[in-house]
Amino acid sequence: MSKPLPNASGHFRRSHADEFRLIETGFSRTMLALFIIALVSFPFLFSSFYVDLAAQVFLASIGALSLMLLTGIAGQISLGHAGLIAAGAFTAGILFKEFALPFWVTIPAAALVGAGIGVLFGLPSLRLRGLYLAVSTLALHFIVVFLGGEYETRRGFSTGILIDPPVVFGYEVYSTRAWYFTLAVAAAVTLWICINLMRSRSGRAWKSIHANETVAEAIGIGVTRYKLLAFVVSSSMTAVAGALFAYYRGFVSIEAFSLYLTIQYVAMIIIGGMGSLLGALLGAVFVTLFPYIIEALVSVLPGADRLAGSVFAFNYAAFGIVMILFLVFEPQGLVGIWRRIRDYFVLWPFRFKAMGGRK
Amino acid sequence: MSNAFDVEYGRLRRMTLPGLLCENAQRQPDAVAYRAKLRGVYHERSWVDYAGRVARCAAAFEKLGLAGGERVAIMGNPCEEWMIADQAAQALGGISYGIYPTASSEEIAYQMRDGGAVLFVAENQEYVDKILAIADTLDNLRHIVVIDATAMFAYDDPRLKTYDDLVAEETAGPGWLADRAARLDPDAPAFIVYTSGTTGAPKGAVISHGRHLAATYNIVTIYPMLAEREQRAVVFLPLCHVLGRDIAMTLPMLSRLVPHFGEDVEDIATTMFEVAPTVLFTVPRYLQKFASQILIGIAKTTGLKRSAYEFAMKLARRTAEARWNGPLTIGQAAGFSAAWGAVFRPILNKFGLDKLELVISGGAPLPTDIGALWQIYGLNVVEMYGQTETAGGIIAGQTGPYARPGSVGIIPPGWNIRFSETGEIEVHSPDLFDRYWNNDAATAEAFTEDGWLRTGDIGEMVDGQLKLIDRARDFIVTAGGKTISPSYVENAFRSSPYFSEVVVFGQGRKYLTALVEIDFDMVSDWARRNDVSYSGFTSLTRNPAVFDLLAGEIAKGNERLARVEQIKDFRILYKELDPEEEGEPVTPTRKIKRGLMLKKYAELVEEMYDDREDRLVAAAIGAD
Repeated sequence: MSKPLPNASGHFRRSHADEFRLIETGFSRTMLALFIIALVSFPFLFSSFYVDLAAQVFLASIGALSLMLLTGIAGQISLGHAGLIAAGAFTAGILFKEFALPFWVTIPAAALVGAGIGVLFGLPSLRLRGLYLAVSTLALHFIVVFLGGEYETRRGFSTGILIDPPVVFGYEVYSTRAWYFTLAVAAAVTLWICINLMRSRSGRAWKSIHANETVAEAIGIGVTRYKLLAFVVSSSMTAVAGALFAYYRGFVSIEAFSLYLTIQYVAMIIIGGMGSLLGALLGAVFVTLFPYIIEALVSVLPGADRLAGSVFAFNYAAFGIVMILFLVFEPQGLVGIWRRIRDYFVLWPFRFKAMGGRK
Repeated sequence: MSNAFDVEYGRLRRMTLPGLLCENAQRQPDAVAYRAKLRGVYHERSWVDYAGRVARCAAAFEKLGLAGGERVAIMGNPCEEWMIADQAAQALGGISYGIYPTASSEEIAYQMRDGGAVLFVAENQEYVDKILAIADTLDNLRHIVVIDATAMFAYDDPRLKTYDDLVAEETAGPGWLADRAARLDPDAPAFIVYTSGTTGAPKGAVISHGRHLAATYNIVTIYPMLAEREQRAVVFLPLCHVLGRDIAMTLPMLSRLVPHFGEDVEDIATTMFEVAPTVLFTVPRYLQKFASQILIGIAKTTGLKRSAYEFAMKLARRTAEARWNGPLTIGQAAGFSAAWGAVFRPILNKFGLDKLELVISGGAPLPTDIGALWQIYGLNVVEMYGQTETAGGIIAGQTGPYARPGSVGIIPPGWNIRFSETGEIEVHSPDLFDRYWNNDAATAEAFTEDGWLRTGDIGEMVDGQLKLIDRARDFIVTAGGKTISPSYVENAFRSSPYFSEVVVFGQGRKYLTALVEIDFDMVSDWARRNDVSYSGFTSLTRNPAVFDLLAGEIAKGNERLARVEQIKDFRILYKELDPEEEGEPVTPTRKIKRGLMLKKYAELVEEMYDDREDRLVAAAIGAD
């Protein structure tokens, strides 16, 4: 199937280059421009607490997008996400601490290490599916965490590794606002890579493997190759997210990479909506902001003072409930809700697809 | 004013289509002549490229031995190669004619034999199969050229050639074409158009080069906006029809109309959506089809959206009426703009109709309500009236904007009409068709003694606008002696979205009855919404609930008719009319052959006339 038609009439493609344009209609151009303006002006309009929250969302987006590629698109379940983030963070930390290498070296190095681990993570996927694959990736998570812990204790950094702020184009990225823009750019680049992967041969291969491995093989897709590629690409991006995380925190310690982190990322793609890049972004926003929302809600409850100690418990419980609610009532996640809202207006004043147009 | 037109008419009368193509290729070599969609991409063809393509095809035809005066038949849906092959044949002095893509094999055989084509151009394998089945009985046929060679691997008939192979070897360019075009006689026949033949066998109207161009130019005189700025049009009407030919080939050379060819006629909705034409030439059937799609969509939508639509309709209905009576007040215009922006534009956008500046309906009478509905939606719908015999030109056209439905407009400059004693419209112009192919008797019948063309249509002039009443031979005279125009009656019902076709009978009877064909999409949608179960077309037509629905629609239509014109009873056709089937009472253009219809469905019609009284009388006088 070729590219779907744009939302508005009168946009015919005159060359194959036209088919590759991401923005076709004037409406989407305007929307994109407005969105960029909003993103750029955000840190100047809100306090640094909110700017910091936004930066966290960007960071989470990178991890969520890469997990979405692997699990949501290619259909390979992985519970080793936190392990991969740890691997990226430790690569950056070790290279900085031991060899004093700059940002420009540590980030690509983290990507390479991630790619290498991706191959290892991917190998079991060639034989295992579903739950078994999940368990084998979980094993790798513990291996990485174990190695990181060993490094910390043997080198005497038992409280963690301190990292200096990176220097980008001669500017030290230290302030919240600087981090906001750095991470925004990193998230945008990741999104751009993911979008392009999705509309190229690899993305299509992954989707078909997800749909039915046997059929994919039968129509000539190298299932082995593309499964490994999914692990390599996803792990590599995740490790970069880990390295950025290390710089952003200025500190690497193995305690930060618990299994709960993995669960948070898995929650992002489930709540966001499996198989959709937009879903990964929405999930990242939701899961990152969720604890703050719960906290705010708890604080308005009567007797908030007495509950202060149990905010974490509330958080976990509410998180679990939200996950269950989504799985039961909105399996398509936030993106399903978004699509319904969008379709309401795109199809206006019809309810279903009329004739030539989209939907 | 008309003097300036006369100069242009005169110039065109001395031209040929290939000559005009070369002129365009020279004057504006790099401007876009047309766009053709191939594998998802609209390829822009410049005039010089266009001329080169025609030249190569003509050179290839020449090698196949096509000589001046020989005929070339082309069959298939509209595509760029169709019109290139057509002009290539014309450039060599050949005479081309198209065969309706939906023609039955009997009709193909008739037109191949009557036209005597030496070359048959088939769009794809489907038409190759059709021609091969009868090829051995055709003495004149020498070659079959296939445009789309997909699925042709298992064919080894020596007459078969593929278009791409033929053209690939040629190197002829626009210069060569110009040289050929210069040798042509503008008064020689250029092509034949077979009339659809609602009565009797199709007749081939022979049309010559110059007269066709001059006649077609009269469309530009009525609609000058075609030449004022670039206009996008979608080619979807069959090119063998003179209107289809005008849109795809002739008008683009006379105006600034840029035709767009979709990938497949089946994808017309997608093509329309992508291209968003600014001018739409159409037959009423499409306007009816699109309207019923919109109505289905609105019927199925949510309450809030429907109320928004209904509110907008209420407002726009008043605006449409006000427009017919003169310019809008600022308040009316602002109100309509709001309704347009909030409701109608989003609706039309989904069909690719929102950029339309002009919608021209021709080929058959446009039901008044359909025209009015589209005007309420805000489209500038006008009607024009022409015939194959007027050589591509029109006899009348509504100038608009937003012409009041009901008339077919004014007569173009340089053309004249008069009415015979019976009210039949007669046309005079230097630019009419030449004659019927192989049919001098019909030719003689078509013209009056002083050379005016008999249209066969009855009309009258009302306030300078021509108004059509009916085809002369179609009038029904009831037993009560009333003369009734069946198409007038039918149009009163055709505006109901549930009918796809309504055919009225009653010649020599006490009252009128009708056979109706349901619009399957609309009625099945209604059935689903109302919990009426059905398994297919036939079971739907047999359902009593459907009968009741249609009876309601008939009653509604009857309200608008005089007593004698009302339909007293009707029957539903239990299968869809299919022009591709042998012996169906419908032409490839889906015009009804009344006589055949009555014969084929005689039983259904008889059922509707209760003849007990007649039998009583007969018994009383002692007859059997």
